[in-house]
Amino acid sequence: MNLSLKSIRACLEGAVPAVIATCARDGTPNVSYVSEVHFVDAEHVALSFQFFSKTRENVLANPRATVVVAHPETGVQYRLAVRYLRTEDSGPLFDCMKAKLAGIASHSGMNGVFRLRGSDIYRVESVREVPGTSSSIAPSEPVGLAEVRCSMARLSGAHDLAGLVDGLLDELERRFGVSHAMVLMLDPARNTLYSVASRGYAESGVGAELRPGEGLIGAAALARIPIRISHATSEFGYGRAMRNDAARRGVTAGIEHEIPFPGLPESQSQIAVPILAGDRLLGVLFAESTQTARFGYDEEDAFATLANHVGAMAALLGEDAEPHEEPVRHTRVPVAASGMPISVRHYAENDSVFVGEDYLIKGVAGAILWRLLRRHAEEGRADHTNRELRLDPAIRLPDLSENLEARLILLTRRLEERCPSLRIEKTGRGRFRFHVLRPVTLHEVPR
Amino acid sequence: MKARRTAAPLDVANAHFIEGGVSVIVATRDAGLVPEAIRACGCRVSRDRRRVTVLVDRTRADAVVADLAANGRIAVVFSQPSTHRTIQLKGDDASVVSPKPSDRTLVAAHRDQWLQELCSIGYARGFAEALWGRLPAALVAIAFSPSAAFQQTPGPGAGQPIERPP
Repeated sequence: MNLSLKSIRACLEGAVPAVIATCARDGTPNVSYVSEVHFVDAEHVALSFQFFSKTRENVLANPRATVVVAHPETGVQYRLAVRYLRTEDSGPLFDCMKAKLAGIASHSGMNGVFRLRGSDIYRVESVREVPGTSSSIAPSEPVGLAEVRCSMARLSGAHDLAGLVDGLLDELERRFGVSHAMVLMLDPARNTLYSVASRGYAESGVGAELRPGEGLIGAAALARIPIRISHATSEFGYGRAMRNDAARRGVTAGIEHEIPFPGLPESQSQIAVPILAGDRLLGVLFAESTQTARFGYDEEDAFATLANHVGAMAALLGEDAEPHEEPVRHTRVPVAASGMPISVRHYAENDSVFVGEDYLIKGVAGAILWRLLRRHAEEGRADHTNRELRLDPAIRLPDLSENLEARLILLTRRLEERCPSLRIEKTGRGRFRFHVLRPVTLHEVPR
Repeated sequence: MKARRTAAPLDVANAHFIEGGVSVIVATRDAGLVPEAIRACGCRVSRDRRRVTVLVDRTRADAVVADLAANGRIAVVFSQPSTHRTIQLKGDDASVVSPKPSDRTLVAAHRDQWLQELCSIGYARGFAEALWGRLPAALVAIAFSPSAAFQQTPGPGAGQPIERPP
C-alpha cells in the first residue's frame, strides 16, 4: 500500500539514522547513511549534502534512489522511492537544515565534521512499509488542531503585549506540556533580542540579551524560520553563545552588568520559533526539555501557528494601543515614600541604571526608568502615558509601538525582581502609574 | 583513487567487525538502475575471508532476490551504532545460497549483540527490539566475494577505499 509522506513525517526526525541506496551509471549500487532526511512538503524531502560522496555522484548521474527510514517511537521502517531534483545552497530550507545538522553533529561528538554544503531536494514517488517491521508499540498521540484552536482563542482575548506573551507561555504549558520556555523581543535599533518573559527557570532571566545569529534562538531570528533540535548541542548552545558574548562585550561603566541567560543545563530538545507580524520580526519563542526528541514536526507546526497569531495580535494591539485624544490627568504621588532611601545611578553613556551597587537595566528601558524617576522627583508625577514616552526626546525610542510595550514589560519585570520599591502598574490602555515606595536619591553620571 | 578490483581477502579486523553487532544494510539494483535497500539480520565471513554471506528476512527480500538473480551486483554497509565506524563492501557475483542450519543461531546472536549496542547508547530496549524487527521465520542467505571495500565512517575520509594486503 502506498502511504502519504505526511503520515510518516515523524520518521524524518533523525532519531534513527536513515539509509539511502543509489546506483552509478555503470550499474554499481551504493548504500550510505544520511544524517538527516528533511520533510519539505507532502511530495518532497531534502537530504543534507555535506561531502562529495558516492551517493551524490550517483544521483547526479542517475536520480533514482531508495531511502529507508524508521519511526522514532514504533520502530516500523518505511521505504521511500525518491528522485533527485536539485540542490539548494541558501534560503530558509538550507538554513534550517544547517542548524539542525549542528545539533546532530554535536550530539554525535562530531563537531566540525558535519558542514552543510547544500540541501538536495528529492521528489517522493512512493512510500511503503517494509514487510516484517510492524510493531506493538503505539505512537504517541499527535498534537492536534483542537489544542491550537483553544490556545488561539485564549490569546485573542489578550488586551496588551504582556497578556499575549504570558498567555503564550501559559498555553504552551497547559496544552502542550512545555515546562521551560521564554519569549524574547527584538530591539531593531540595537539589533538585539531580549527576554521579556519565561517559565520554569530558577532565575527568570528577563532582560537577558543575544544577537540574531547567536545560538538556536538567534539562528531562528536571523532565518525567520522555526529551528529545532532533538539532541543537546553545544555548537548552537545559546548559553555558551551568551557567555562568550558577555565576555566579548566586557564591562560597561566599569561594572559587569549582563543579565545571565536562563537555561536547562541538561537540555536535550530545543525549539526556537520566530514571532512575525507579516514579514517583520517581533521576537522569538523558545522552548526546551531534558527529554530527547521532545519537539517534533507537530509541535513545530503548533508553536509556529501560535507565534504567528501572537505576532499578528501584537501588531493589531499596537495600532490602537494609544488613543490620540487622551485626557491628561496628572495625579499627585499616590503613596508617600517611606523607609530607607535607595540610591539610583544612571549612566548617560548607555542609559544603564544601578540600584545601590546592583545593575538593574540599560538601554531604552533604562532611559524610561530614569525619566520616570526624574518626573517623580521634580514634578511629583506618578501617572504617565505611552504616548508621552514615545514623544520624549530623551528616550530615543524606535517608532514601532510594540517596542515601547515590550520595554515596559521588561522594565516592570526587572523592577518586580530586583527593586520592588519601584513599581509600574498598568492603569489602562496606553497608560500606567509609577509607584515609588521608598525615598530615592538620584545620581546622574554624565557621558 | 580507484578501488582494488581484485578479490583480496578482508583483513582480520574488518572480518571480525562485520560479523559483530553492527547494522547491516544490503543494496541491489534492477535493470532500470533503480536501487533497493533492506536491513539484514546477520553476517558471516568464510574462513579464507574471501566470501561474505549476509542473512535477510525472506519477507523483505523479494526485490533484492530478483535483482541478484538478474545481475549479481551488491553493496553492503556495516555500521557500529556506538562508534559510527562504518565500512561498505561491494561485489558483482552475489547470489542467493542455501542458509546453513546454524544461521538461525547466528541471527539470534546478532540480534542480542545489536540490541546491546543500541541500549549502550541510550535507546530503550523495547524500541531497539521493534527496530530490529521480528525474528525472521525464514531466512535468505546472500553470498558474494567483496571486490572493493570502502571506509565510510562519517567525515571527510568517508568513501576512501580500504587498502588490503595483496
